[in-house]
Amino acid sequence: MNADRSLPPSAGDDSNAGASLADRGDGVTGGPGASIAAELRNVRFSYDGGTTWALDDVNLTVRTGERLCIVGPNGSGKTTLSRVIAGLAAPDGGTVTLLGERVFTDGAGPDPDAYRRARRRIGAVFQNPEDQIVTTVVEDDVAFGPENLGVPRADIGRRIADALDSVDMAGFRAADPTLMSGGQQQRIAIAGTLAMLPAMVVFDEPTAMLDPVACGEVMTVLDELQSRGTTIVHITHHIDQTRAADRIIRMKAGRIAADVTQGLSSAAADDKAGSRVVMDRDADGGDIPAGRADSAVDRPVSPDTDRQPQTSESSPIAEPAIAVTHVSFSYPEDETPTIDDLSMTVARGETVALMGPNGAGKTTLARLLCALERPAGGTVTVAGIPTGSRKQRRELRRHVGYVMQHPERQLFAETVAQDVAYGPRNQGLSDSEVRERVSWALRLLRIEHLADRSPFALSGGQQRLAAIAGVIACRPDVLVMDEPTAGLDAAASARIHDLVRTLHGRGVTMVIITHSAAEAAALHARIIDLGNGEATPAATADGLGQATAAQRTSTRHAGRGNDRDRHRSGVNGPLGTLDPRVKMVTFLVLMFTAFAISNAWQLGLAAVLTVGVIAIGRVNPLQLFTSVRWILGMLAVMGLLNIFFARGGDVLATWGPIAITTGGLGTAALYTLRFALVVLLGAVMLATTTPTALTDAIGSLLAPLRRFGVHTQEIALVLSLALRFLPTLARETHAIIDAQAARGGDIETGTPAKRLRSLAAITVPVFAGTLRHADHLALALDARCYEEGARRTHWRQMRVRWRDMAFVATAALYLAALAALQLLIQ
Amino acid sequence: MSVSSHTDTHSTSASSVSSHATGVADSGRWSTRRIAVYALFVALSMAVSFIEFPLIPGVPWLKYDPSGIVSLVAGFAYGPAAAAIVSVLGFVPHVFADPWGSLMAIAVALAMSVPAALVYRRMRTRRGALAGIIVGAVVALVMAIIGNLLVTPIYAHMTVEQVAAMIVPALLPFNLAKLAVHGVVTFLIYKPISNLLHR
Repeated sequence: MNADRSLPPSAGDDSNAGASLADRGDGVTGGPGASIAAELRNVRFSYDGGTTWALDDVNLTVRTGERLCIVGPNGSGKTTLSRVIAGLAAPDGGTVTLLGERVFTDGAGPDPDAYRRARRRIGAVFQNPEDQIVTTVVEDDVAFGPENLGVPRADIGRRIADALDSVDMAGFRAADPTLMSGGQQQRIAIAGTLAMLPAMVVFDEPTAMLDPVACGEVMTVLDELQSRGTTIVHITHHIDQTRAADRIIRMKAGRIAADVTQGLSSAAADDKAGSRVVMDRDADGGDIPAGRADSAVDRPVSPDTDRQPQTSESSPIAEPAIAVTHVSFSYPEDETPTIDDLSMTVARGETVALMGPNGAGKTTLARLLCALERPAGGTVTVAGIPTGSRKQRRELRRHVGYVMQHPERQLFAETVAQDVAYGPRNQGLSDSEVRERVSWALRLLRIEHLADRSPFALSGGQQRLAAIAGVIACRPDVLVMDEPTAGLDAAASARIHDLVRTLHGRGVTMVIITHSAAEAAALHARIIDLGNGEATPAATADGLGQATAAQRTSTRHAGRGNDRDRHRSGVNGPLGTLDPRVKMVTFLVLMFTAFAISNAWQLGLAAVLTVGVIAIGRVNPLQLFTSVRWILGMLAVMGLLNIFFARGGDVLATWGPIAITTGGLGTAALYTLRFALVVLLGAVMLATTTPTALTDAIGSLLAPLRRFGVHTQEIALVLSLALRFLPTLARETHAIIDAQAARGGDIETGTPAKRLRSLAAITVPVFAGTLRHADHLALALDARCYEEGARRTHWRQMRVRWRDMAFVATAALYLAALAALQLLIQ
Repeated sequence: MSVSSHTDTHSTSASSVSSHATGVADSGRWSTRRIAVYALFVALSMAVSFIEFPLIPGVPWLKYDPSGIVSLVAGFAYGPAAAAIVSVLGFVPHVFADPWGSLMAIAVALAMSVPAALVYRRMRTRRGALAGIIVGAVVALVMAIIGNLLVTPIYAHMTVEQVAAMIVPALLPFNLAKLAVHGVVTFLIYKPISNLLHR
């Protein structure tokens, strides 16, 4: 199965298969700047068949060992350019040469073999850290690329170690990347790329979804790569990230608007161009000087006058809009509380910026304010409504608007106007009122012209504005926004800042989560920093406090990773080291045969076996019980059913035709207990097997079907990726359910028509998100050189050893005893 | 394998140019995109199978599991093979908790989504979708009743005859309601979703 020889070095790309990371990638270098990593000539690229051009006659040469930054506003073609350079997308016209391979020629089109060869030496790292991770064990994830390249197994181990070492994650080999912080995930993704020994790595906004601390972690890795001479192409929105670049390209409307070489060696002639880029970058970078857009606000936006600005009414004795007193909250899976004894108040009409590092509890606090979570201790009162009872929480949602992170992921309707109308309609307003609310909200965000467009056909920035309009249309008294400008360019961010100032003028109380002190200043917001452990109003986020908070979070994240390792004790125990194929088949046999148990002796034997398996597997019984808790209800129903249906022995009680008999009770106990044993065995099996091992086993067991044309390797990969994305999609589905609930959508009550509409409002964005992840994942699989039918090697080896045989023998012995008991009792 | 100097003849493939395909892992039966879409649909099916809504308010134990919608949509979008993969793999996590129940659920999901996908593949219209859903629902209903006849006696001390007596008062209405919600929701959401698929 596994490779014991490397690929024939047909393209020369595997000649460095055994090389260490330190001496890779420069086999073609003749000297600094002498050789070319990528060359694009007259490249054109259109997404709409030539109506508009995402890339319009681009000429670019990337030199070997160069660190090139690409900047420019949203929609300027940066990402498209990066895909062409990474060899992940072919242009419509022009000539593309990557690492010496002529991959695309005008007229002839793409050359798949050249693309294949080039791609093996080009790494790509994308925005969303999570979508690039393919398995739930770090070392398996890093091994994925080398496996696809057919690297011999013996070399993969060293590559994993070297790659994790260079991103400073060496201690996390056995950890679960899906439970890590975004910064750590991104470093794992980079390690997965480095393990393929790329000569060039293309980074597409790798820090766009990260907080400043995680951002720093990733930039350190880039510096390290640069110092080793790896060619880097880095797309970014952040000015400060371009400082270490050798060269900066500025994109504008599909063309290269500026091309500036930085650094000591560059001539003074570059200075002029350089300063121009710097100026442009200021306009692009995202932070708008405070007050610049003030003149644009306070326009009369509403035709009605029923709602006066309330700022003038605020007096010292007025009740605050938000009162949080001694609130604590923790998620069930966490050992430390996310929020611990937090108190804060927000006055009516006040704008507050909620700051602090990731993991400080900002989003949790937002969810508490919107009554989507209940505090474990303390009280939350919003708009005068406490959040104690279910009724109060429902009432509160009529007053609070919640713009979640990435609210554009909740869009569902056929037109923007219909989507925005969803909240007002759920409030039971008349058609004319709904229409009025919709046009008011669209006008406020200046997207009236998009009313009849499909929300899915808009740009990312427009989608964000449309989604926010959908919340604003509910006319909240209190508006909570979670990083509303994250990932937006300057123009779209300015639009949202305008909105905040306009709503402030109308007396709306706002709580805005942000990572940017400049944004807080631009909004004239009072800063509440959750990073210092308590929500004392901090005038500024001073450097020192920031640093300690940052350290605390990173250690906490690290600690969390270790905690999970400990939870996985079962995986590393004796059962965890069994061959997964043997283990899975044996467990399934034990489970299915348990349904044949028909007397107390057999039940006792099976119970002894189950307890033995739990003990040998070193599975924590408490965790085991937690994982099977959900089945208790089903067991109870089953037990009752059996009590009523089974007859025999003495009658204990009767109600009309229903009788409870001793025989019935006995049968109920037997059926319930044997099913409980089945459930426990299954739980032990899952607790001692990683998803990767499980899918490897299924793939291997299915392998004989390959003869009948079944794509067994692909099916195993599909299952493995599905298990990897299961928690992600579950989380996002819950987020969408919450977001629509915050707009008054409810699947559990109301008329069937209303419930179906609510279900559609959830289902459509859930599918949209599923397809979005699929797009990202397909790209990540491409970047890691996965290809159907290509010969792969396997890092994880499955081998049947004596202990597997012993396990099977024990199971066989047990089954024989079970059968013997059956015969003896009868 | 082939020489890198691609002789620049007239082998222009217009379709592959406009789709920006590089010819690597984006063609053939199992492209990376196809693997990714299948994987995410399976993940979604698993995720929503853990979210259960009460079907009838006030009757909390009759839970509705929306994963059947995912199988149906997968079948409409990518054909019967996709429907089968999502129906089978989507229940893998449940096999280790409730083996017989999962086998039955897989059989019912297959019985609904594969015939529906087969019908829709021949008639790619709203009427075709409706016909597919109805055919699938009928096959699934039969499968659900057969499955209950076989599986219920394993879980409860009942004879097949006793289970058969429950068909009209219990099994039929519950399964009918469940399949009706699958069908109605899929019918309502398929158009907006297909717009997303074929953007």
